[in-house]
Amino acid sequence: MKLKLYADRMSQPVRAVIIFCKKNGIDFEEIRVDIAKRQNLTPEYAEINPMKQLPAIVDGRFKLFESHAILVYLASSFPGVADHWYPADVFKRSKIHSVLDWHHSNLRRGPTTIVRNTVLAPVLGRPLNPEAAAEGEKFLSASLSKIESVWLKGNGRFLLGGNQPSIADLSLVCDIMQLELLGETERNRLLGPYKEVQQWIENTRNATNPHFDEVHKILMKAKEKLQNPRMKGATNEGGGSDMKRTLHSRI
Amino acid sequence: MKLKVYADRLSQPVRAVIIFCEVNGIEYEEIKVDLANREHLTPEFSEINPMQQLPAIVHGTFKLFESHAILIYLASSFPGVADHWYPADVYKRSKIHSVLDWHHSNLRRGPITIVQNSILAPVFRRPLNPEAVAEGEKILSAALSKIESFWLDDNRPFLLGENQPSIADLSLVCDIMQVKLVGETDWNRLLGPYKKVQQWIENTRNATNPHFDELHKVLKELKEKLQN
Repeated sequence: MKLKLYADRMSQPVRAVIIFCKKNGIDFEEIRVDIAKRQNLTPEYAEINPMKQLPAIVDGRFKLFESHAILVYLASSFPGVADHWYPADVFKRSKIHSVLDWHHSNLRRGPTTIVRNTVLAPVLGRPLNPEAAAEGEKFLSASLSKIESVWLKGNGRFLLGGNQPSIADLSLVCDIMQLELLGETERNRLLGPYKEVQQWIENTRNATNPHFDEVHKILMKAKEKLQNPRMKGATNEGGGSDMKRTLHSRI
Repeated sequence: MKLKVYADRLSQPVRAVIIFCEVNGIEYEEIKVDLANREHLTPEFSEINPMQQLPAIVHGTFKLFESHAILIYLASSFPGVADHWYPADVYKRSKIHSVLDWHHSNLRRGPITIVQNSILAPVFRRPLNPEAVAEGEKILSAALSKIESFWLDDNRPFLLGENQPSIADLSLVCDIMQVKLVGETDWNRLLGPYKKVQQWIENTRNATNPHFDELHKVLKELKEKLQN
């Protein structure tokens, strides 16, 4: 009764769940659902998740979607998951719920919006939309400011003054990593003002490597293709099928 | 060490938290933070919640914001809260997390968008924006469809096929109730297609009355004030 994880590693919340499983030695079968090929929109996948989004898990007969709910379920159900990921202490746990909830209405709307309306737009057959991207940038900047001034307050290396990562660190950092698709210059422009955020991303990466880097390989490959269209296997005129295979935007 | 709840009953998540406290006999002190008067934007309130939003709680030295986190904290920390509100069973609990998370990105943005761009626009010194209202109605309808077709079981009174309400029922129903502000005609138009949803709202109301009606009085009063 191995855990099944329905995944496309281009999706930020999928990456958070995979890294969590690998880091905690949770055995799972990764079932690829290719968003660029719209496999999440098939009737077969709707049986797994009627909301047609990723990630989703099936554990025996138990189905679950929404990455935060999945991370909490895994932390609560699999032995050997260290307490710092989702502490038993009700005060610490509540603060983790608080930042995960805040994430939905704040940070989550930043990177995806920027990326969908700029670098990924031509590949997806969408018009470039600098206005929407600018909106996304506002969300991102406001959220990064709040992360620095509120969530990273204190002397911890992680959110909420922790010296060990929690599921909240993993979830938020994986979201910010989506900015890699914009290339070094843009990424540095957007993250530049936030030194503590940059350190925290590095801390989270170090705490979960080699899995963090391994799981982000696909994203980095996609970034290379987007930034260097003359690389092998990349597009010729305007959005070749090879890029379409690799890239997507989370729906 | 009485629980302090920073509240404006005009806010849907505030109502969910207060109804939960009332139904479960949790003693609390309600501290009014008037949104229309921008009291949530004061430096004093920022000390309580730097995100400047409601609700927020202070319990001794412990501060917390985000209504779902608050509901879970209260269900987990106060004795006498019946299990159905936030079951110990990890499967049931995970499903509650799933619908609460889904709520943020789906239902939550519907009623608020409609109401803030129509009837509440003058109260918050915003222009009327019929385009935004139409967007809000689309979001609401899409969410209500999903509740009707997926989250609500055919034969059970509450979300996730349950016979008793959970914090998810309270949170989502209080959100939908905000649409009452736009008047009965629009309420009937928007909710009309969703029979299971309407029944579910009634079930949640019955399970938590008289507190549900008491907390939602503020919407009736505000609507009358705005229409006169």
